[in-house]
This record gives sequence, C-alpha cells and structure tokens, in this order.
Amino acid sequence: QSISSMKLELCSFSGFKVYPGRGRWLIRTDGKTFHFLNSKCERSHFQKKNPREVSWTVLYRRKHKKGQVEEAAKKKSRKSHKAIRAVAGLSMADLMAKRNQKPEFRKAQREQAVRNAKEKAKAKEAEKKAQKQAEAKQARAGGAGQKQKAAKVVKPSAPRVGGKR
Amino acid sequence: LGAALRIQAAVPATGCCVCRNWISTTPRLDYIQRRTRLRVVDNSELGRRAMEAGKPPRVMHVYGKKLKAATGDMVMVAILGQKRRGFIVGARRPEGPLRPQFDSNNLVLLNDEGQPLGNRILAPVPSFLRANRNPKLDYTKLLAIATKFV
Repeated sequence: QSISSMKLELCSFSGFKVYPGRGRWLIRTDGKTFHFLNSKCERSHFQKKNPREVSWTVLYRRKHKKGQVEEAAKKKSRKSHKAIRAVAGLSMADLMAKRNQKPEFRKAQREQAVRNAKEKAKAKEAEKKAQKQAEAKQARAGGAGQKQKAAKVVKPSAPRVGGKR
Repeated sequence: LGAALRIQAAVPATGCCVCRNWISTTPRLDYIQRRTRLRVVDNSELGRRAMEAGKPPRVMHVYGKKLKAATGDMVMVAILGQKRRGFIVGARRPEGPLRPQFDSNNLVLLNDEGQPLGNRILAPVPSFLRANRNPKLDYTKLLAIATKFV
C-alpha cells in the first residue's frame, strides 16, 4: 500500500490546509494539480467561481487585506539610514560643522546678511543721488541743450498690419 | 380546448414548478471497462497517430479476472485496427484519499513482452505505482520513462 505522506497541502480554492486523508486531489489534463479540502471547495472551483471573490477564502482575505497580515508587515518595515558623505565643495569636517550650527548663530548670520544688503542698497541709492545732483549741476551750468537727460523716445504706434485682433 | 390549454399552462402559486433544467441523476460513469476510450499519453508512433486521427484506443479486455480497470491495471486495447496491450496510468474515477484522480483515463501502450512502445510518458504518473502491486506485470521500465511523478 502507498505510504501516507505527512506533507500538508493547501486547498487550491480556499487556501486552507488539507491533512492527509481529507478531500480530493485532481490532476487536470494539462498537468495542473488541484487539491480540494472538501466538496464545497471542489464544487466552487468547477462552478468557475473566483476564490478572490468568495469572502471566506484565504485569497479573498489576502486581497482585501483582512486580518493582521498588514499590521505585521508594517511593524517589520525598516527605516533606511541615509549615510552622510562629504560633498565636492565641502569636506566632511566642514559639512559637520555647518550641520551643527546653532539656530541662534544662524539667526545672527541672517541678520548680518540683511544688514549688509540694506547698507549696500543705501550706498547704491546715495551714489545714484549724487550722480543725479552732479548731472543737474552741470546741466544748469552748461546750458540747456548739452547734457540733457535722454528723453524717452516714444515711437508712434504703427498701424497694425493684418487688421484688428 | 381553451380550458385544457389553460390548465396545462397554469403555474401553481405555491409548490413546485416544472423543472426546466433536467439534471442527470445517475452518478458519473467513469469506470474503465470494455468499450471505454482511453487517452494515450506516451510518445509512441502508434499512439500519436491514433490520437491525432481522432480514433482513441478502446478497451477490449481487462486483465486480472475483473471487469473494471483502474490505475495500475493492464488492458488490451483496439487501436487503429490493431490489438495492443496497455497500462493504465491515470483514471478519472477517484481512487482513494491519498491518490490523485485525473481528468482523463491515461494509457501507456505496451508490446507483447510488456515493454513500453514509446520512450517517454508525457502525463504525470501517480507515485503510488512505484509500489508494484500488479503480480502479472513488471512495469519498472514503464516508470523509468515517466517524466513527472505526482
């Protein structure tokens, strides 16, 4: 007589364990093997039901993520650590120094930068003003026509070719 | 006439209706016996020709003083006008709890000495055949040409 194999099969329809001696074992003409736990699973298969649409099967539960499979999977997810590497412009030491700057220090830096910018702007304005004054003086001294501010030349708008848009 | 038609056409409100789907009430007739057509699953020339021609072998006789053949039994078949021996390697009838059932009745052709005609068996062969329980036939050579055991 044949030796009873203790290998537990899974039902091809429901996904439950089939212990030896239970159910049926079918080999189709194309060579595909099917294990059925009971006639319920067998009949469902031959009625061409899709186990993914039959709510008590393992395939359905897996597809619709029922039960605790999802939680377990989430718990096991690992965070990937990004390694800090030196960049082309900065060596490792400089990089770490920049990284470890205190927020107060950074704020002070920002304020300094703002002050600088303002001063620059002021200087620029003062320069412009001085230039204007100088020009004005010259204009008054040298007469009307000479160093006039370049008048804005406004071209008369040409008639639009092609008609009105 | 009108009254008679009305009675025939009437469907009672309660109780059974006329069954439109006629369901067979006999069990599946899947024994292998005389006149049963089998499917040749080896690559023998004769078997291939017969299956391609649409003339599968028919069982003529079941060896072993029995009327029904199952997996592991030797039969005599009529194939393309010849008489040949064959060995059943798969049956539609469910055998037992730990044995597979197949979707077709599979046959391997043998010559008169009991050696397989082909040199390969293309269908899966049940592994319980390895325990030879047929005293009249030594089919170790047959199992040797099997490609897949189940």
